[in-house]
Amino acid sequence: MFLRLVSDSFARRPRHKLLTGAALALGMAVTTAALSVALDVGDRLAQEFRSLGANLLVTPQADSLPLEIGGVDYRPVNAGGYLPESDLGKLKTIFWRNNIVGFAPFLDVPVLAETDSMQALLRADLKPDLKLIGTWANRSVSVPGGRAFVTGIEKTNPWWHVDGTWFRDDLAECIVGTNVASRRKIKVGDDLLVFEIKSINPPVTLNPAPLVALFGDAIDSSHLRRHDSLISHLRDNLSKRREFDKESLQHKLRVTGILSTGGAEDDAIVAPLAVAQQIAGKPQEYRRLYVSALTKPEDDFGRRDPGTMKPDELERWSCSPYVSSIAYSIKQVLPGADVRVIRRVAEGEGQILTRVRTLLWLVTFAALLAAALAVGASSAASVIQRRTEIGLMKALGAGSGTVGSLLAAEQLLLAFIGGGLGYALGIFLARYVGQKIFGVAPAFSFLVLAVIIVLAAIVTLLGSAIPLRRASRYEPAPILRGE
Amino acid sequence: MPDRKMFWRMLRRIFTSNRGRLFVILLALGAGAALTAALLNLQIDAKRRITTEFRAFGPNVLIVPKGTSSSSSETLPESIIHAVPVNLSSGRVSVSTALYLVASVSVAQSGKSLSAVVAGTNPLAFITVSVRPGSAPPAGSNEPAPSLEHVCVVGARVAQQIGVQQDADLVLANGNHRESCHVASFSETGGPEDDHVAIGLRAAQRLADLPDRISAIEIIVPGAPGAIQGYIADLQRLLPDAEVRPIRQFTEGEAKIYNRISGILSYTVALVLVLTALCVMAAMTNVAMERRNDVGLMKAIGGATRRVLRLFLAEAALLGFIGGVLGAALGLLLSIWLGKQVFGVAARPRLIVYPVAVALTMLVSIAGAYPLRRLASARPASVFRGEP
Repeated sequence: MFLRLVSDSFARRPRHKLLTGAALALGMAVTTAALSVALDVGDRLAQEFRSLGANLLVTPQADSLPLEIGGVDYRPVNAGGYLPESDLGKLKTIFWRNNIVGFAPFLDVPVLAETDSMQALLRADLKPDLKLIGTWANRSVSVPGGRAFVTGIEKTNPWWHVDGTWFRDDLAECIVGTNVASRRKIKVGDDLLVFEIKSINPPVTLNPAPLVALFGDAIDSSHLRRHDSLISHLRDNLSKRREFDKESLQHKLRVTGILSTGGAEDDAIVAPLAVAQQIAGKPQEYRRLYVSALTKPEDDFGRRDPGTMKPDELERWSCSPYVSSIAYSIKQVLPGADVRVIRRVAEGEGQILTRVRTLLWLVTFAALLAAALAVGASSAASVIQRRTEIGLMKALGAGSGTVGSLLAAEQLLLAFIGGGLGYALGIFLARYVGQKIFGVAPAFSFLVLAVIIVLAAIVTLLGSAIPLRRASRYEPAPILRGE
Repeated sequence: MPDRKMFWRMLRRIFTSNRGRLFVILLALGAGAALTAALLNLQIDAKRRITTEFRAFGPNVLIVPKGTSSSSSETLPESIIHAVPVNLSSGRVSVSTALYLVASVSVAQSGKSLSAVVAGTNPLAFITVSVRPGSAPPAGSNEPAPSLEHVCVVGARVAQQIGVQQDADLVLANGNHRESCHVASFSETGGPEDDHVAIGLRAAQRLADLPDRISAIEIIVPGAPGAIQGYIADLQRLLPDAEVRPIRQFTEGEAKIYNRISGILSYTVALVLVLTALCVMAAMTNVAMERRNDVGLMKAIGGATRRVLRLFLAEAALLGFIGGVLGAALGLLLSIWLGKQVFGVAARPRLIVYPVAVALTMLVSIAGAYPLRRLASARPASVFRGEP
């Protein structure tokens, strides 16, 4: 009888039920969308913050202080420590390996670069005039016991723009900074000759005078044009004089792109790490490593020194992706390394992320409130409009409890149907918004479904509770009379 | 004009006859208007506030001598700083000047020494992101007080290598020039500051023997990405002798993040506003449908459908106006409070939000009463009989 009454009510007033259900579904849809986006936005934004580049810097513990002003290091080349490149795969074996978005090792060497070898040799003073930055553009690193991981400078320094293409890590190619390119009129496709200078202290000096003595007056423009034979001749002579190392006198790098970064790199050459290692005579070694990691904003707990923590606290600390706990676990796999948090990036990120999250939860809460109001109002309306029906039921001997549970059952049924439909619609909305803003749809979450169904039930019941209470006090006679 | 008089009298009656009903309607409309005003205001304010939050990333624009970085010995005259405009509509621009030099640093107590980059900065410790407890820069470091001349902030790595403690004394030497300073705190930023010893600008200028010269100006420009680009272009025009360089890592990153955040805010706020409108409309429709009998009665005693309808729509508009005016005022107050909760700074009320919220409320209220039109075809008799 009870079920029949409920189904009868749906069948008798389909349009009315449809309207109430639609209001419910709409409200729940918006709630679902807002909730899905708010749940997802932290991760998405954290990802977005990676466009600021690396937030961790790894340097050798034994390194000397860099004396760098405006991108120029005033320290002798061989001073300081290095780290082995072969350890880098281990970065993807730490507990937070999936949070490591990318990393790139760096090795800087001062070099002398010219497009023409004759010009280089004719310079009175063979001081290195450029910095060659060796790094990975896009390199596949083999992870111990796992797959390869592709990483490089494009992940850690996304604001570096290359006009042309990046160099390939296994070839003798390079990209040159825009200032260097314009000053020396270097174009994409040119060959750049990079001369290594073993030591700048004291600088190797080479006067054109002995060359003139060697070749007489032959050094003129015609020689510059067919300089290849001349350079080999020179190389023989020079190696005899032990001014240069014979094998690595020069490196020929093909320019594949012009780099613009807005920073000191505009005055440098960027080449594969292997090339820099060869020039510096430091095979398989690097000096700086930038790591870009997804992190959780640091709170007071995250800022504590792990050395002073109790074991259970330490466990909790290292199981949260705080930037400092990621730094800590990187330090564990890279012996001899000093891992520092780039505070400027990490702190700002944490602060903004927290603010935006709070803001979005606030807006979501407002959405919830508005949805509750809308749904509550429409259920209240649906109860009020059925006053005569309630009066009739009571006149026929139904108690307040029976009437109440009958209406509640109807409302709940409506809540489940409307909530379910609203959820489906809301997921579409959330996908649309996510796609539009981040290019990625938010992850599907059962938590949201559960929250939505429960919410729909609570809101409809609350919305109809007040009119139901009033309805239970109705006297059947005046209602039936239409008063 | 008895017609109009009658119209107003009937309207007045509507307001005075049923106080309870009036209260419910004003509550619904007011709540909607409050939510609309609060969210709109918060959204405008939040976008602006987010750009000020980017301050946390530190400087985003650099002024350096032209053609620098291959020969960093070039410097700028210090007076150039007066040409930098500091008051923008998006907030105040923070400016810091710096002079860098390599000097020999030694600890007075232990005699240990090494060469390090000495950064003479004004104000001292511009970026205050160091978090090590007790390592906060001295209070009031924003003002270049004379007492700070002999105070230095030592980078974490310098401190580690030279083995210096807090409150120790450092002696900085460059050629014949010597300066001594008192270690006030340590900075650990993960950036180049870790390898620097920061001292007052004047002390650094004496040390380098470059009075009134600086090597760089660091600027924190708040504002939306477009505004920052405009500022950089203006600054370059004002300072033709220097190079104005955006620190692209931050300007580009900030632009990207700003666009995302403002996008997500706009979308969610739009969603919530649509929902609020639907909610208020549902409530208004519900209330309006209760007036079936009134419409029926008016028609029965000879009211033309259009006039009856106009009466009810006018009522709805008036209610929307009152609800909107009250609710929007409440909403603006609410957004001020919410802004304080989220950003720690009260949101500045935007006056444009007020009329917009009121107009939206009226619109929704009228739209909510519009289903009464359906009654135009209803026959009075069947309405009275209570037929659906």
